Amino acid sequence: MSNGTVSTLYAVATFLVVLAAWQIAVTALHVAPYFIPSPLAILHALIAGRALYAANFLVTLESTLIAFAVALAAGVLLGAMVSESRLLRRTLYPLLIAFQSMPRIALAPVIIVWFGFGISSKVVLGAFTAFFPIFLNTVHGMATADPDQLALMRILKANRMQVFLKVKLPGALPFLLAGANIGIIFAILAVIVGEFLGANRGMGFLIVNQSNQMDMAGTFASVFLLSATGIGFHYGLGALRRRLLFWSGTGEAGREAG
Amino acid sequence: MRRPVEAGTAPAVPILALRDVSKTYRTVRGENIVALSQTSLAFEAGEFVAIVGPSGCGKTTLLNITAGLLRPSGGTILFRNAAIDGPTPEVGMVFQGPVLLPWRKVIENVLLPIEVLGLRPASRYRQRAADLIGMLGLAGFAERYPRELSGGMQQRVSIARALIYDSSVLLMDEPFAALDAMTREELNLELLRIWKMTGRTILFVTHNIPEAVLLSDRVVVMTPRPGKVSAVVPVPLPRPRSLALLGDPAFGAIASRIRGLLGPRSGPAA
Ligand SMILES: Nc1ncnc2c1ncn2[C@@H]1O[C@H](COP(=O)(O)OP(=O)(O)OP(=O)(O)O)[C@@H](O)[C@H]1O
Ligand SMILES: [Mg+2]
Repeated sequence: MSNGTVSTLYAVATFLVVLAAWQIAVTALHVAPYFIPSPLAILHALIAGRALYAANFLVTLESTLIAFAVALAAGVLLGAMVSESRLLRRTLYPLLIAFQSMPRIALAPVIIVWFGFGISSKVVLGAFTAFFPIFLNTVHGMATADPDQLALMRILKANRMQVFLKVKLPGALPFLLAGANIGIIFAILAVIVGEFLGANRGMGFLIVNQSNQMDMAGTFASVFLLSATGIGFHYGLGALRRRLLFWSGTGEAGREAG
Repeated sequence: MRRPVEAGTAPAVPILALRDVSKTYRTVRGENIVALSQTSLAFEAGEFVAIVGPSGCGKTTLLNITAGLLRPSGGTILFRNAAIDGPTPEVGMVFQGPVLLPWRKVIENVLLPIEVLGLRPASRYRQRAADLIGMLGLAGFAERYPRELSGGMQQRVSIARALIYDSSVLLMDEPFAALDAMTREELNLELLRIWKMTGRTILFVTHNIPEAVLLSDRVVVMTPRPGKVSAVVPVPLPRPRSLALLGDPAFGAIASRIRGLLGPRSGPAA
């Protein structure tokens, strides 16, 4: 068995043990189900309400993915532009840094006023939140391009586009992906907050409704679904990372035999 | 067959000339470090010149300035009698360490100059890249990534990359330092073959005196920091050269002369 498989087995086993302990504790201590539901009750809620969960989940997933895609495109594009242009580095960059230090989630009510109860306000809030880690990591990655590799390109009299495409961009990829990893978590958080505050669909909306009705099993089921999504994103990006950064010799890509 | 040239006396049409080149670095703490002072050298087209000198005497600095990567604090670099103030594809370089793009396969690294310079046809250069990779003892590694190669193998990839396009001058900064003695000797002979075939002018920095003598027409000996030329030793040994030359008394005489010029540290061995 590979190291990775063994690690996964340990993680899954730990998870199951915790769930079992939870089930036993809740049953043995007669905890009220509207206070802390048992894992089996949560599972039951999930199965019974599957159509409801699926519909709302898809709304949240759609908002998150669109927000993330927008943030990724804008973050990489603006990051590259700021790295390549001294003018933008002196003008746009300080402006964005000022924005970055602002607690962006605090703008959620304003954004809902501006963009309404539909999906667009969540996309805007998610994209706005996820943009910064991607943008900053891209700028950082390009700024730390290897000076020797740049000297090599200078020897060949490479033009700026060649230097950018052949050295700076691939060299910034590890940073860019690290930024994307944070970005997608930010995006899903912001979308849910947006749905808490003003929406008629989505997991955030569902959670608010369920907890208002003291439907704890349902609320927990929603939260678990979102956690699973977070884990899914994490592994998805991890797989992407291994595909794209196989050359870097870091991470699990440098597998040993046995 | 080549006219030996002493420092300062320029040959008729030097392909490359350094005139009173000096370099002072300013450290982070604000001190000035004179790495190179008042260096004048001229190189004839097709010459093979070795540069030896103690560590830190400014050899890499000299090459970087010649390549146009570094601006001299004083003096000028003339390429075919015209002052240059930046890199030109006419002057190629093999860096002191292997500088490879880790996301590119070996063959893609070797082909990088072809892509950047926009040379065609691609198929011809692919063949040439494959030939060079074989010549440098890397057959079978063309499709590997740099991190799967040893340091010495990576260095050979960077040599292949410098050889794939026809720069008229090639600067080599201790290219074989990371190799074992046997591979090194093999590659010395390979380099001589390529040099003869292509008629390039080569400036070759090394710490290894026999290597300098075996390869070159002249050996430039530099003083410790601040580096300047202390002597230029001609190597009037016949070509083509082979490893048999290493045992030749004439070879030994030149090598010990250079050793003597390099200073007291290399006194008679036990
Ligand atoms: N960027 C720099 N800033 C300050 N000092 C430098 C810088 N680069 C080189 N030096 C100094 O200049 C001197 C010459 O350096 P250089 O790298 O040219 O030496 P070298 O002859 O190539 O040495 P080696 O044989 O060890 O490679 C050294 O003393 C070094 O400390
Ligand atoms: Mg050096």
